Amino acid sequence: MLRAAIALLIVILLGLAFHADGAFYKIGTHRDALRQASVYGILACGMTMVIITGGIDLAAGSILGFTAVCFSMMSIWWSWPPWMSVPASLAIGAICGGISGSLVVWPRLQPFIATLAMMVFARGLAKTVSGGVKVSTALPNGDGTFRYVQVPEFFRFIDSRILGGNLSMVTVIFLLIAGLGGVLLARHIWGRDLYAIGGNEEAARLSGLPVKRSKLLAYVACGFCAAVAGICQAAQEQQGDPEAGGGYELSAIAIVVIGGTNLMGGRGHMGLTLLGTMTIGYLEKILSINAVPEAGRLMLTGVILVAAVLTQRRRRF
Amino acid sequence: MHRIFLPVLILILAGCSGSSKPEGAKTFTIGMSQCNLGEPWRVQMNADIDAAAKKHSNLKMVFKDAQNDTLKQRAHIEELVSASVDAIIVSPKESQPLTEPIAKAYQAKIPVIVLDRAVQGDQFTCFIGADNKKIGKAAGEWLRKKLGPKATVVELKGLMTSIPGQDRNQGFRSGIEGSGLNVAFEADMKWLEPDARKEMESALARLSKIDAVYAHNDPGAHGAWLAAKAANREREMLFIGIDALPHEGIAYVKQGILNATFQYPTGGAEAIDTVLKVLSGQQVPKTIVLGSRVYTADNVEQGGEALP
Amino acid sequence: MRRISKRFGAAEVLRQVDLDIYAGEVHLLAGENGAGKSTLIRILAGTLSADEGRIEGSADVAVIYQELSLVPTMTVAENLFLGRMPRRWGFISPSELAAKAKEWIDIDPHAIVGSLPIGMQQRVEIAKAASRNAKVIVMDEPTSALTAVEVEQLFTLIATLKQRGCGIVYITHKMEEIERIADRITVLRDGQAVASRPAPQLPRAELIRLMVGREVNEQFPSRTPAIGSERLRLKDFTVHAGEIVGLAGLQGAGASQLLLDLFQDPPKAISEGVALLTSDRKTTGLVLSMSVTANCVMAGATSSWRNPAAERAEAQSLAEMLRLRAASLDMDAGELSGGNQQKVALAKWIRTKPTLLLLDEPTRGIDVGAKQEIYQLMNEWSRQGVAILLISTELPELLAMSDRIVVMRRGQVSAVFSHAEATPEKVMEAAC
Ligand SMILES: Nc1ncnc2c1ncn2[C@@H]1O[C@H](COP(=O)(O)OP(=O)(O)OP(=O)(O)O)[C@@H](O)[C@H]1O
Ligand SMILES: [Mg+2]
Repeated sequence: MLRAAIALLIVILLGLAFHADGAFYKIGTHRDALRQASVYGILACGMTMVIITGGIDLAAGSILGFTAVCFSMMSIWWSWPPWMSVPASLAIGAICGGISGSLVVWPRLQPFIATLAMMVFARGLAKTVSGGVKVSTALPNGDGTFRYVQVPEFFRFIDSRILGGNLSMVTVIFLLIAGLGGVLLARHIWGRDLYAIGGNEEAARLSGLPVKRSKLLAYVACGFCAAVAGICQAAQEQQGDPEAGGGYELSAIAIVVIGGTNLMGGRGHMGLTLLGTMTIGYLEKILSINAVPEAGRLMLTGVILVAAVLTQRRRRF
Repeated sequence: MHRIFLPVLILILAGCSGSSKPEGAKTFTIGMSQCNLGEPWRVQMNADIDAAAKKHSNLKMVFKDAQNDTLKQRAHIEELVSASVDAIIVSPKESQPLTEPIAKAYQAKIPVIVLDRAVQGDQFTCFIGADNKKIGKAAGEWLRKKLGPKATVVELKGLMTSIPGQDRNQGFRSGIEGSGLNVAFEADMKWLEPDARKEMESALARLSKIDAVYAHNDPGAHGAWLAAKAANREREMLFIGIDALPHEGIAYVKQGILNATFQYPTGGAEAIDTVLKVLSGQQVPKTIVLGSRVYTADNVEQGGEALP
Repeated sequence: MRRISKRFGAAEVLRQVDLDIYAGEVHLLAGENGAGKSTLIRILAGTLSADEGRIEGSADVAVIYQELSLVPTMTVAENLFLGRMPRRWGFISPSELAAKAKEWIDIDPHAIVGSLPIGMQQRVEIAKAASRNAKVIVMDEPTSALTAVEVEQLFTLIATLKQRGCGIVYITHKMEEIERIADRITVLRDGQAVASRPAPQLPRAELIRLMVGREVNEQFPSRTPAIGSERLRLKDFTVHAGEIVGLAGLQGAGASQLLLDLFQDPPKAISEGVALLTSDRKTTGLVLSMSVTANCVMAGATSSWRNPAAERAEAQSLAEMLRLRAASLDMDAGELSGGNQQKVALAKWIRTKPTLLLLDEPTRGIDVGAKQEIYQLMNEWSRQGVAILLISTELPELLAMSDRIVVMRRGQVSAVFSHAEATPEKVMEAAC
């Protein structure tokens, strides 16, 4: 925890040093840094659970895209109210996660392969159901012309701000998810199962833990989080882009690792992921307000990733 | 990788394209090799081609999507040659590596229309493309007319490692040269809307006054507008983008989000026209440069206005 | 080694320890679980660095670690010569490798180490250290998974090594071994060397007193079994409530497999009151990356939500019951000493209140004092009507604790003896 906090602290110090004419001191900058990291953070919450079991979920970004498309179709095309579209989208995400999880649990595919398959499949699904175009408020009439509808109220609600405009709703959603996930991991027996499975699956099995079920549920949880992220993404873009979330799974994995959760499984917790999300969010923001060119950003991000993970390293006795 | 499942989409598109043909008329099969259907603009290109082809009952289209893979596109072109299609339309992913397969098709006496991205040499029937530099320049000149000198502009660039990104940047800069317009913030948004929104948030944090946002594509301009709207500053500035796809840029102009969008034409309809001309033995020019249109709130209902 | 000190965080594990190793001599390290023996030899081997103190003389050391350090996915031969494979023009020659491996060990050199039973793995580990031709060879509880015959082979090997002028550091909790091979004994207690003398000057009772710091009755506790109704019926024998049935047999005779078969569906077995203590705590017993507490309360959860306070209290009482030596119950199980890990693996099953206990080497790596407590625990359980199936490679322990002995050979039961009938000779004869 302390070490993850150090990485975040270093990044914030960087921000204080390169404050871009005082832009870093504005409260809005911090709100925006957290907003832009929130979708990654929500994905990372689910990813944390899977990584604790010693697995990985490469499908998270594609499931985000697929659920963003589904949610937009329900909300914009079919005008479903949120109490229908939200649960339906979450269920779709959870089912996608459940499929990857089943592949990991029953045919015992490597998580990397199972979720890679789900990754391409879900992306294909997203493009198929959307017809390859963004699901936006421009409704096709079928003859090349378009009809325009209002952005659904619920989209605006998710993209709104609270606390006098100083906190984005998506950040609130992220914090809720992280809190819920954190409690499950630390206090629920299922969370404990995940640690045991990641630490020593055979010992967990021989202790009578429901290894298969718990592992499957980790992927379901990851799919669920991806769906939450998909809803947030769609609401913020005001459309469902079938390409949305491409590569986000890697950012989510990076966040989990920067937080200090071990990729080998068995260790880590949600608090670390929270810190990791903030680290990545602030890093991106600082590079952005200083208008660092893309090439420099990529290199700097690489360097800081390694530096952050090195500060995390448990001291070897 | 995530494009593996696109063939499903292609099948659907291809399935739509069959239309009844009158007895006796000779039908022509036309192969279309698209480099990447992951981009909405290219989806539009295929749609334009398909729509144009449907107007002629003797044309049968075969669509192929190389999923952003040069070698796959090469294989597609070779397949079309061995299937002895009557004409090939190809929108190449890369110029150099696809020059030879295209030349081979041309030498096999199949008319080849190259769309959007040119290949080297002259071993093709006709190149149809638009000029990104010209469009960028038009955007710059348009802003120059709208804004006084010393106005502050934010430029949200596509990928600066791509030729369209570079051209849209250079054209724009030449368009505003000497006007006193000041590009106070510029950043790569990688053609992506969420990234454009992030970068715009930073621009808003840094600049207390912004007069215009120029984005290299319409989704980028839309992302910037969302950021400005969230900061309650969207009325302070103009938003302009490029591409003018019907469901993106043009829709945004109609909704009052963008002040202008500059069309980057797909050339789909022109490609079918050219194919028909070639098949009926007419002479066609080696290069056709597509004109562009600008769409603003005033002219969008009239179908925009052609750029000089 | 001079004045070696080592701390892990707040826990002081070694305090100013001296250790002298002479060529041609077996230097025995004795001490309770967690006294710091393994830590000391890890410092000697250089895999840990001391906070204070120094090592004098050449440190050409080969170590047989307590927690095995083989590469499970590689073959026996590859493990033996890891890092020093015989090469020909830079290529490894498998046939030559196998031939060289045969000089040191009579296990199929092409077998994958991970698929071998733990005892065979232990022999690979021994052969690996011996073939290194090091000046000093350290053996940390090498016999904890070996059968009597294999132990004899090891002792012959040690004699050869001594003749060659090797210095040997040997750690064990087995008194018989100490008496047989020790030339010099150093006793560690709470990280301090409390005595270092030639073996003849340290009689057994004195040694135990120095190790444990109190008198320990080394006798096996007497049993007055109260046999109840039948608890388990198998093809060749039955186990009754309140009865301890010992399973004897050579490595691979199928005794461990028998226990695993009884535990094929763990949740179901546990709900039926069965508990299995596996023979290898590291790979199948514990989750080393979880806290001691979490391991203690892992099996048989009753509610969906965890209660940290209750878990901690429960782990605390289990730890006291088994005299667990841990700096904190929040430390990772992997940071415990070997014997203490074994205690946690056992503690896990106490809370599920089993009626049929399957114990595969329950005292493996456990010190004299704690062994007594485990024996008493077994007696206590059987008094409460628990049926126990016990496997132990330590024949005296097996004979003393079991009401009946079932001998297995090649997966089949070859003989059944009552407590009174069973003698080491009869059991060995039936097993071979
Ligand atoms: N990595 C570690 N972190 C914290 N404490 C440790 C670590 N490794 C060992 N210890 C502690 O050091 C003490 C000594 O451990 P060591 O393994 O040397 O005992 P030992 O004498 O070999 O015991 P045993 O007979 O059970 O094998 C133990 O209390 C153990 O918990
Ligand atoms: Mg030890």
